[in-house]
Amino acid sequence: MKQPKSFEEGMDRLQGLLSQLQDESTPLADSVKLYAEAAGLIHYCNTALDKAKLQVEEIDASLAPGGEVSHEA
Amino acid sequence: MADYINVTSLNRLAKQVLAQCDPLNDLIVCGEISGFTRHYKSGHLYFTLKDENAAIKTVMFRSQAQLLNFTPQNGMLVLVYGRATIYERDGAFQLYADYMKPFGAGAAQMAFDALYKKLDSEGLFAPERKRPLPAVPRCIGVVTSKTGAAWQDVQNVIGRRWPMVKLLLAPVNVQGIEAEKSITEGIRRLDRDPRPDLILITRGGGSKEDLWVFNSERIARAAAACRKPVVSAVGHEIDTSILDYVADLRAPTPSAAAEMCVPDQADVRQKIFILQQNIQKNIQNRCNLCYNRFNQLAAAQILQRRHSQLTHRERELAALQASVQSAAQRRVQSAERQLQNAAAVAESLSPYAVLARGYTLTERQGVPCAVEALRPGETITVRSAKAAAECRVEAVHDLETTGE
Repeated sequence: MKQPKSFEEGMDRLQGLLSQLQDESTPLADSVKLYAEAAGLIHYCNTALDKAKLQVEEIDASLAPGGEVSHEA
Repeated sequence: MADYINVTSLNRLAKQVLAQCDPLNDLIVCGEISGFTRHYKSGHLYFTLKDENAAIKTVMFRSQAQLLNFTPQNGMLVLVYGRATIYERDGAFQLYADYMKPFGAGAAQMAFDALYKKLDSEGLFAPERKRPLPAVPRCIGVVTSKTGAAWQDVQNVIGRRWPMVKLLLAPVNVQGIEAEKSITEGIRRLDRDPRPDLILITRGGGSKEDLWVFNSERIARAAAACRKPVVSAVGHEIDTSILDYVADLRAPTPSAAAEMCVPDQADVRQKIFILQQNIQKNIQNRCNLCYNRFNQLAAAQILQRRHSQLTHRERELAALQASVQSAAQRRVQSAERQLQNAAAVAESLSPYAVLARGYTLTERQGVPCAVEALRPGETITVRSAKAAAECRVEAVHDLETTGE
């Protein structure tokens, strides 16, 4: 099964899968496949949340007066 | 010819005289700022301090200006701490400011009100300008002091609630005269950077003067010009800055701002859980429905099979019945034929047929009897085809023995 590009895409896809599953015109064989995909996505989303760690980065510090010379110079 | 002095000497003399006047060296002057400029290169401040009747040119050098915790603006009533003397080159009587602060709440408030009115009339505070924040930002640009408590609060809250996001810090000065430029530049830089989905401008609590820079027109305009949504959180709940009015969302504190910027992972986990349950329930129902339908169909199939079996057996039974019947018939017919044959044989052997040819039959007591068995005196019946005669035996002669 293909991995979603992002957590949000995973969540959106899950929501979509649910509505497809709720649609009675979806054949049983397809439903079973969708169900398997949903199970994978749920695992993916939960794992993403478990593993997430806040990333912090600074843009060029030369904004502060008296700071270093701009790297662009 | 009278003694004369040149202009340089005059101005120097005046300066010397003024320098001996102690009160001029340790002044606190109250006046309104006008003609305010900040030299773009040197960073020195030049303005005129005035009241209803008089005015004096005022200079504040960059080294002192950096320590200001508010942004001087035209029309602002201030207290200037410093000394007054002659600027020899121009012969100008000037005030050299070491420090200044807004005079009373009224002065600051007036400047605030004036700017508020101006920006409001330009529509910068209009509700329809307010943009919604992205529901799940990937990157948040933060304009704040790297060493401030606000930055710590923001990291803590977002790290707890939604660690999936990246924080891009624009480290700025939030205090002093340079703060305005620094913050403005920080906002612009983060807006140009493609990464942040929104920009959070924040600093922790402080005195009214400490927070005054966030009433800056330049900062307000920089925030208003942002293509990305801007969240402001300056000081505490009660502190409202011009920036707060311009921002798309105003938060009461840095922590509150951090909470508003990201979803709560507990909620999202709950949402995933509910989705999971719904999906589970759904597939279960679906399977049950299919099983039920299958069972119904299977039951119908079994009935159908039983039915066709019955029909088959019925046909077998009918065939058996027919063959039994015809066998029985054949048996009866053959028996009849045998009987007829036997009857014909019997008929051919019948003594009565012999009698018809004129012979008689001797019977004793109703039973045919051999003549040699008869004894004289016995009563016998002699029977022909047409009549019977009751006779008495007179004598019995043995024909075989007499014949020889």
